[in-house]
Amino acid sequence: MSALLRWGVPAAVVAACVGYLIYSASGGSSVYYVTVSQLRAHSPAGDVRVAGVVENDVQKSDGGLHVTFTEKDGADTLPVEYSGTLPDIFQPGITVVAEGRLGKDGVFHARTLLAKCPSRFSTQPYTQ
Amino acid sequence: MILGYLGAGALLAGVVLGGFSALLSFFAGWRRADLFIQVGRRAFYAAAAMTAIAAVLLEIALLTHDFSLAYVVEHSDLATPMALVAAGFYGGQEGSLLYWTLILGVLGTASLVTAASLGGRVLAYATGILASILTFFLFVLAVVASPFDLLSVTPPDGLGLNPVLRDGGMLIHPPVVLAGFAAFAIPFAFACAALIAGRTDAAWIRHTRRFALLAWSLQSAGLLLGMWWAYHVLGWGGYWSWDPVENVALMPWLATTAYLHSSQVQEKKGRLRNWNFGLVILAFLLVVLGTFIVRSGVVPSVHTFAISAIGPWFLGFLAVCVVFAGAVLALRIGVAESRPAEAPLLSREGAFTLQNLLLLGVIAVVLWGTILPLVSGMLGTERVVDAPYYQRAAGPILVAVLALMAVGPLLPWRRAGKATWKALRWSIAAAAIVTAALLTIGWGWGAIAIGLAAGGVATVATEYARAARRNPRLLVIKRRRYGAYLAHVGVLVVAIGIAASQFGQQEKDMTLRPGESVTVAGYTLTYTGSEQQQLADHTEFIAAMRFGGTALAPSRATYAGLGGQALTHVAISTTPLADVYVVLAGLNVDGSASFRVLVNPLVTWIWAGGVILILGVVLGNVGEREMAAELARRRIPITLPA
Repeated sequence: MSALLRWGVPAAVVAACVGYLIYSASGGSSVYYVTVSQLRAHSPAGDVRVAGVVENDVQKSDGGLHVTFTEKDGADTLPVEYSGTLPDIFQPGITVVAEGRLGKDGVFHARTLLAKCPSRFSTQPYTQ
Repeated sequence: MILGYLGAGALLAGVVLGGFSALLSFFAGWRRADLFIQVGRRAFYAAAAMTAIAAVLLEIALLTHDFSLAYVVEHSDLATPMALVAAGFYGGQEGSLLYWTLILGVLGTASLVTAASLGGRVLAYATGILASILTFFLFVLAVVASPFDLLSVTPPDGLGLNPVLRDGGMLIHPPVVLAGFAAFAIPFAFACAALIAGRTDAAWIRHTRRFALLAWSLQSAGLLLGMWWAYHVLGWGGYWSWDPVENVALMPWLATTAYLHSSQVQEKKGRLRNWNFGLVILAFLLVVLGTFIVRSGVVPSVHTFAISAIGPWFLGFLAVCVVFAGAVLALRIGVAESRPAEAPLLSREGAFTLQNLLLLGVIAVVLWGTILPLVSGMLGTERVVDAPYYQRAAGPILVAVLALMAVGPLLPWRRAGKATWKALRWSIAAAAIVTAALLTIGWGWGAIAIGLAAGGVATVATEYARAARRNPRLLVIKRRRYGAYLAHVGVLVVAIGIAASQFGQQEKDMTLRPGESVTVAGYTLTYTGSEQQQLADHTEFIAAMRFGGTALAPSRATYAGLGGQALTHVAISTTPLADVYVVLAGLNVDGSASFRVLVNPLVTWIWAGGVILILGVVLGNVGEREMAAELARRRIPITLPA
């Protein structure tokens, strides 16, 4: 009994701490991962991630540090604006994941922009 | 063409031989039929040989540019350098599975050849389990995702490989990680076999120690090589992004780290038996879960393999493994019953146990973050977490692990007393001084982490000094122990590099005209001008920069043949305290250029720590006397009383 207490109590304390850390951290920093049509239908509060294919209307300025383009997913489209260095494989036709929020102006202001990596060793960029 | 038929035939023969070996071995173990045990084992060797033949055939097909095979067309072309064509073997979905199966066959064979001392039944069940796993992989290769599929028309050239992947890092990172994954199956097979056979003494631990260490070392090296590659090639300034692909490689590593420590408690004290079975089984299940996640595309990832048909098969395999391992553990838990832990908390046993709990905590954090999109997607809108979640949730636990690394090695078995506190004085002093110094520059948690890591290094130094005072030859005789401490130093150096680069990183985006300078974190860079080079398949735009006495040339290549895809070539200048990391974002028509400059403190420590870690494992195990022989010499019975 005493052995059980001596080991059970610290184990329970560690488990409780880990549980609390997971709970508090995932509450504070999880974001919704939505499609363009879901975002159009109902825009959640706070930051979201939106995946879509880059359309053929990429406009770069400021030496490539600022970019605007349209993200397309099925029939829905979303204008996106982003400042920062672009992923290498960024080009029309690839799938990108933009994280940020939809402004009142209807433009999605992206904080980060991720490109889906190409499938290993294949020249065809990975698209969904 | 002929290679395709031969390869597919070898795979099918492997499936038949492997299935035969699995069924016969389980039957032989149940009936204790020695002859059948031998036959089952040889059938496993034959299945492994078929895998090797298939692997050789695929490599020949790649090197001879046999474009009748779809796999060769999709993963190479005539212009690719030969070394990278050869690497195409493990570069794609099907080939990497074949490579994995090959390593499983080779290591499985090695583990069975040397397992005679474990007794017939353990051997039979281990053969049965290894053969079952091998057969599953061969079946997937033969039926679902074959690298030997033929094209109806043979094209004149292949599609080649993406420029992002035309890099030396591509040659070594994937095979190391995949070999590590494959190696986790060996301890799993022997742990389950020992449980079924009721041999719950430490014999299986001793037999599989080398394989567990091999899996752990390969995984350590694979993770670090992946980080190195991402840092030097991908050009986003970091080395770890908590992507599912990275997470699933980290989790089995954490579980095995826990096991390598807790297994010592069983070897030395005969305790924690059930726990050790559980950890080894967990590590393997995490490998299978990770493979399912990475290769099925069920969670969003920036580098998932193309979605393919193998996802459901791996989900089924995962379910079978979970049910099998769960049933074995549940039915045999009474057999493995060990004496209740008698040691107090403040002892070596206590430190190992706490370390295990903390590492399981980190696994829980990473697992939850990885499967959250899956779970939340089933319940409503899909949610994802990124780096801040992992930093907030796993950071404090990892800091606690560092604290334990500073204290644990100096705690004696059974009980700690006043002498322990005296031994700890240097470690406490080192931790306090380093933390205080770094707090003045405002690194917060980073200061605490680096301080504790310094304390850990002082602890190892104390242990070395103790041994050297008593008898310097101890360092060689007990090299397993002192090698492990060297591996500790490696981990601590890696931890310092990670903490410093996480908390001390500074970045700045700017556009400069020729002759203009910029200062980031005290490092001044001057942009001197640009040039353009037209090469065979791409155009290279190079910006010249001056940094002190050295010239930096960050550049961007544009591949016309790939729809204008760009490829960044980062320029990195390593100074003793930090890496200056320059990314060329673009050249403008007016002659100015846009850059992102990052200053990453102590990143080189991460790579150096990795080298120390591997050195520790190697030095600690070269020519190490078998534990069994050591025990026999000291007349200690090998089988501890149950």
